[in-house]
Amino acid sequence: MKRLFTPAFLFALLLLGLGELGARVFFAQDISGRFEYGYHPDAGFDIRPDGTVKLFRAGGRRFHPQSFPRHRPPGTFRVFVIGDSVPRGPSFQGAYPWLLAGELERHHIQAESVNMALPGYGARRCQVVLRKALEFEPSLIILHVNDSNKYEDEREYRRSQEFKSWHPRNWPMKIFIFRRLYEAKMEKAFWRLVPDQIRVKFAANDPDAQLAANPDPEEAKARIQLARETTAESAALARAHHVPLLIISQCRLMRDGPRSFHFEDHGLDALGQSLAGDGVYWLSMKDVFSGLPDPRPYFSDTGHLRESGHLLMAQAITRKILEDEQQLGLTALKGEKKDGGG
Amino acid sequence: MSFITWQYLLFLPLVLILYWQLPGRWRLVLLLIASYIFYACWDVRFLALVMTTTAIDFVCALSIEGKKTGALRVLILALLPAAWLAVCSLFLPSSGINLVIIAVAAALGLAFFAGHELIWRWGRENRSRGFLIFSVVFCLSILGFFKYFGFFVDSARTMLEFLGLQTNRVLLNIILPVGISFYTFQSLGYVIDVYRGQSPACSSLLTFATFDAFFPQMVAGPIERGRHLIPQLERTTAFTPAHLHDGLRLILVGFFKKVFVADNCAILANYVFTPQTPLNGYWAVLGVVAFAFQIYGDFSGYTDIARGSAKLLGIDLVVNFRFPYFPRNPSDFWGRWHISLSTWFRDYLYIPLGGNRGTKWETIRNLGVTMLLAGLWHGANWIFVIWGAYHGAVLILYRVVPALRSLGDEKASSYLKGVLAVALMWVLTLGGWAIFRSPNLHQLGVWLTALGHWQTSLALPWVSPSIWLLVHVAPLILLQLLTWKYQDETNLGRLSWPVRGLVYALMLLLIVSSTEHDTEFIYFQF
Repeated sequence: MKRLFTPAFLFALLLLGLGELGARVFFAQDISGRFEYGYHPDAGFDIRPDGTVKLFRAGGRRFHPQSFPRHRPPGTFRVFVIGDSVPRGPSFQGAYPWLLAGELERHHIQAESVNMALPGYGARRCQVVLRKALEFEPSLIILHVNDSNKYEDEREYRRSQEFKSWHPRNWPMKIFIFRRLYEAKMEKAFWRLVPDQIRVKFAANDPDAQLAANPDPEEAKARIQLARETTAESAALARAHHVPLLIISQCRLMRDGPRSFHFEDHGLDALGQSLAGDGVYWLSMKDVFSGLPDPRPYFSDTGHLRESGHLLMAQAITRKILEDEQQLGLTALKGEKKDGGG
Repeated sequence: MSFITWQYLLFLPLVLILYWQLPGRWRLVLLLIASYIFYACWDVRFLALVMTTTAIDFVCALSIEGKKTGALRVLILALLPAAWLAVCSLFLPSSGINLVIIAVAAALGLAFFAGHELIWRWGRENRSRGFLIFSVVFCLSILGFFKYFGFFVDSARTMLEFLGLQTNRVLLNIILPVGISFYTFQSLGYVIDVYRGQSPACSSLLTFATFDAFFPQMVAGPIERGRHLIPQLERTTAFTPAHLHDGLRLILVGFFKKVFVADNCAILANYVFTPQTPLNGYWAVLGVVAFAFQIYGDFSGYTDIARGSAKLLGIDLVVNFRFPYFPRNPSDFWGRWHISLSTWFRDYLYIPLGGNRGTKWETIRNLGVTMLLAGLWHGANWIFVIWGAYHGAVLILYRVVPALRSLGDEKASSYLKGVLAVALMWVLTLGGWAIFRSPNLHQLGVWLTALGHWQTSLALPWVSPSIWLLVHVAPLILLQLLTWKYQDETNLGRLSWPVRGLVYALMLLLIVSSTEHDTEFIYFQF
C-alpha cells in the first residue's frame, strides 16, 4: 500500500489540500455563485467592513465594477438599474445609468445611479438581483423587461439545479480551490483577454442557437407567461418595500428595408402598462424612440443602443422622474438634504 | 466514448478493477468486450466494420503462413458482421440498419469466404502473395468506400462539369466511421509483417480481435505493430504499483495537453480559420501558432491518455511524439511527429518503393508519392493532398539543396546553426499547419493574403489574445524544458519528488480551470 502512493503524489495531495484550505479561508466570497448561474442571492456583491458595497465581476455576474455606500447618503436620489445587456450598455460610461446621474444633476438633483444590469438576464434572474438591491435603500429601482432572455433564465436555472446533483461531471467543481481557479480564469483571463467577437462566436453556451434549434411555440408561450408572472412578483416586492419601481419595457427595431423600419414590443408595453400604478411606473422604450424621424442611428442592432441612444434614454427617464417628482419622494429628498446640510 | 468524458473516467477504473482480478485469458475476453463497448458508444453499426477487418486479416495472416482455417469457421467469421447488424436492427431500431445494409454485409462476407476458398486452390508459391493482396484490397476498399468515395465522386463531377460535361449528382451520404484509418492501417501492417516473416501469425482469434480493437489506441492511435502489441496481450502480467504510477502520470499529462493547451488555443485558431473573419498579418500568425499548439496538445494529449490507459493494463504502447517542434530538418520532424504513422509509411510504402536507394530522381519520386498518400490518409479533401505535397516538397528541397542539407545536419551543425535550423523548421511547419487547418483553398488564400496586410485597423486587437495564447502555451514549454533531457514530456519520473508533486498539483489545477470548452479530438475525424 505504501508503494502505491509515491511521495510526489502525496506531496501533490498536500499542496491541493493546503490550497483548498486557503481558498475556503481567503477567497470564499469571490467564488460564490458561479455554479448557481445567476441565482445566487449575493454573487457579485461585496459588503465591505467600511460600509461600502462593491460590485464586482464574479459568480457568473459580470457587473461593471462599481462601489457605493451601503446606506444612502442623506439628500441623494439613489437609482439602481436592473436589466440585461441593453441597460448594461456598450461601456460603463456610455450606458444610460451613468448618464442618468449627470442628467439628474443638471436638474439640481443630487443623484447616484448604479448599473446593476447583467447580460443575458431575464425577469427571473433580475428578480434575484432586485431582492439584493432592495437591501441598499434605493430611491428608485429601474427594472427592464425583455422577451429575449427567458430561455436563458430557465436554462441557467436547470443548470444550477443540475449542479446540485450527484452527477460526476460536477465533482471537480465541488472542490473549492478548483472552483476558485476556474472562476479566476473566466473573469481574469477569458473575459479580459479574448475579444467579445470571438467569445460570442465560439462560446459553448449560445442560448440563441439553442433556442433556434428548438422552436417549440408552446414552450415559448409558457416562458413569456412565466416572465409576466415574475415581473408582477417583482413589482409586488418593490411595493412591499415601499421602493418606487420604474418598469422599462424594451422593444426591437426591425429594419424592413433600406429606409423603412418598425418597432416590435412583443406585448411588453401591455405588460408594463398593466403593472403601473401604486408606486410602480412604466416607460416604453418604443415611445422614447418612435417619435424620432429616424431612430436607426441610435441602435447598434435590433435591441441594443449606441451611446446616443443611451443619452436619449437618460433624458426620457429624467423627464419621467421629474413628472412624478412628488410621488418619487424627490421633494422629501430636498428637505433631507437641507437637514443633512444643516 | 471519448477520453475526456466523465463516462470514460468511470469506464476505465471499472475495466481496470475487473482486469486485474481476472485470470489469464479472461482478461482478453474482458478487454475485447470493453473495446467493443468503447467503440459502440460512438456508433454501434460500425462495429461490423471492425469485425470485418478482424475476420479478413486474421484468416489471411494464417493463410499466408500456410495454416488453413476450416471452411465453416471462415464462413461464420465472414457472416459475423452481417449477424451483428441484424441483431442491431432487431434491438436498436433507431440505428437505421435495414435489410439492404444487412444483405450487403452478408454479400461481402460471402465474397470473402469465396475468395478465401479460391485462393487456397492456388499453388503454394502464389498463395501467400494472393492472400496478402486479398487482405490489402479488401481492407483498403472498405476504407476507400467509407472515407474517399464521396471525395472522388465529387472531384470527378467537378472536373467533368469544368470540361462542360453534364453529370448526374450522386447522392450518397456516407458517414465516416471513427478511427477507421487507424485500425485499418494497424491491421494491414500486421498482415504485411506476417507476409514478410517479421511477425508470426496470431493463432488466437480472441487475441487478434483484441489487438485490432484495443480500446486505448483503436480510435486515434498510436498505430501499433503486431509484433509489439500481440505478445503483450498474450502475456499475463502481475500488477505492480509502477503500472499505476506511470499510467496515471501519462493520463495527467495527456489531459493537461488536451484540456488546458489544445482546447484553449482552439478558441483563437477556430476564429482565424473561419470564413468571413477579418484578418491581418498579426492575426494570421497568431491563428496558425495557436493551431500548431492546438493540434500538438490535442493529438499528443490523446496519445498520452491512450498510453496511460494501456499502461494501467500493464501494456506499453509506442511513443508517438518526441518534441516535434524542435526538429533540425524535415526528416527529423517526421521522426518526432506522429511517429507511428510516419514509420508505417516508411516501412510499408517508402522503402518498398525503393526509398533512397535509387537515383536522386527516384528518391524524389518516392518521397513525393509517400507524402501525397500520407496527406490523403488524413482526410478526403484536396487540402490534405496539398498539405502532403507541401511536406513532400519540403523534404525534397532539403535533400536537393546543399545549403539546407548542411543547415539541417544534426551532427555537423554548430549551436547557432542548430537554432537557425529549428527556427526555419518552425516557419515551414507553420506553413504546413496553415494549409492543414484551412477548411478550403479559398480560406487558405484569405490566410495568405492576410500575411501581406499588417494594418491593425483591419482586424481585432491582437495583443490581448496573444497573451491568452502565451498563458496556455507557456506551461507546456516549461514542461518540455523540465523533461528535455529525457526527450519525453511524460517522463516526470526522473524529477525529484517535490518538483514532481508540484507539477502534478499545478497540472490538475490548470486542467480543471479549463473545463468550459470541451471539444472533440481533432484526429478522430481521420
